[in-house]
Amino acid sequence: MSIEPITGRYVTVTVGGTPRRIYFEEAGQGRPVICLHTAGADTRQWRHLMNDAEITASNRLIAFDMPWHGKSLPPEGFETQEYLLTTEAYIETVLAVIDGLGLVRPVLAGCSMGGRIALQLAALHPEKFSGFIAIEASDFQPAWYDIDWFHRPDAHGGEMGAALVSANISPFAPDAERWNTLWMFMQSGPGVFRGDLSFYTKDDSLIPRLARIDTGKTPVHIIVGAYDLTCTPEDAERTARAIPGATLAVMDELGHFPMSEHPEGFRPFFVEALGKMPEPAAKAA
Amino acid sequence: MQVIETFKHIQTSLEAAPYLLRLGRLFSETVLIEIGGSEYYLSFDKGHIVSVTEGPSRKTPWRFALRTDAEALEKFWQARPEPGFHDIFGLVKAGRGRIDGDILSLVKNLRFFKEVLTLPRAKEELAA
Repeated sequence: MSIEPITGRYVTVTVGGTPRRIYFEEAGQGRPVICLHTAGADTRQWRHLMNDAEITASNRLIAFDMPWHGKSLPPEGFETQEYLLTTEAYIETVLAVIDGLGLVRPVLAGCSMGGRIALQLAALHPEKFSGFIAIEASDFQPAWYDIDWFHRPDAHGGEMGAALVSANISPFAPDAERWNTLWMFMQSGPGVFRGDLSFYTKDDSLIPRLARIDTGKTPVHIIVGAYDLTCTPEDAERTARAIPGATLAVMDELGHFPMSEHPEGFRPFFVEALGKMPEPAAKAA
Repeated sequence: MQVIETFKHIQTSLEAAPYLLRLGRLFSETVLIEIGGSEYYLSFDKGHIVSVTEGPSRKTPWRFALRTDAEALEKFWQARPEPGFHDIFGLVKAGRGRIDGDILSLVKNLRFFKEVLTLPRAKEELAA
């Protein structure tokens, strides 16, 4: 028998004028690191790093399920709403959660749409964070698929979504973790993956904001997997070039969900990224 | 191996993979695979491949088509393909493949079709 050190609780914050009950997990102590999941998935993508005793010895990893995802319920009245995430709502949610948890300038680590929002926050709200780890993150890519495929009355959006995103998983990923990763997509609520992709594939507002990111104050480290078809190494390289002082690491044997699909392969890249982030200013915090 | 032999191998391997037949139980369509201009028609009935026919044919109706080239397909069938050759959509993004026809039919059966097409990849014993 083994009990993992990850604990899960709920925090209620206000987003868009309405209360949202947010599920979050955490493990570790020391420097806070907020971890953002990809579209169509949830906090479980971070399970391996949160169970990594060496990493959590000096880092307090905190991951939360976005509303509509995982164990965070949609808002009241969702049954008559079309779920469409926006950059603004995503930013408001992240800021509300860090305030709700009383975190002082955490490191922000986000993957895919979480990486995109990490870069948006680096441009728009850098004072709230100490540094940014943007994984499978880029300025913008339009969809290479029809997002409406994933929310139809005559087919299972989750199964189709999983079958599509399997294109982004490296053949080096262990089978068990490949399927654990895909399971989250299979489980996502009706229309949620589509609603996430709506902003991710249509909002290009980050492009002109990249140059204003001051990596002297908040470092930005971008990590990208060679097997990622959605955010390719070329996309990430272009993005890193547009941010003065940003650093980039390309992972030859990983794909779009590195922390989940191939934890052992990703670990050294995440440790390297943490090493580029500032140490906490005050131990007393 | 001739590519037609590879498709025959897929046909046989599929029969030995009950979980795939279950995934494809609603799939009864003909798929055109075009390789460097040569046509191959894979006809499915309730997930089973009932025939593999070499073209050209103007009279065989097909639901969707995957068009690629022999070298790309050879790379695709490696146990651990290089980036871009690891998935049919990777072939498309790399400019080495094209998918046309009824894409929604493909997407509704995407896991089934992708796993059928990767059966020639060397890997551990298929799960029963």
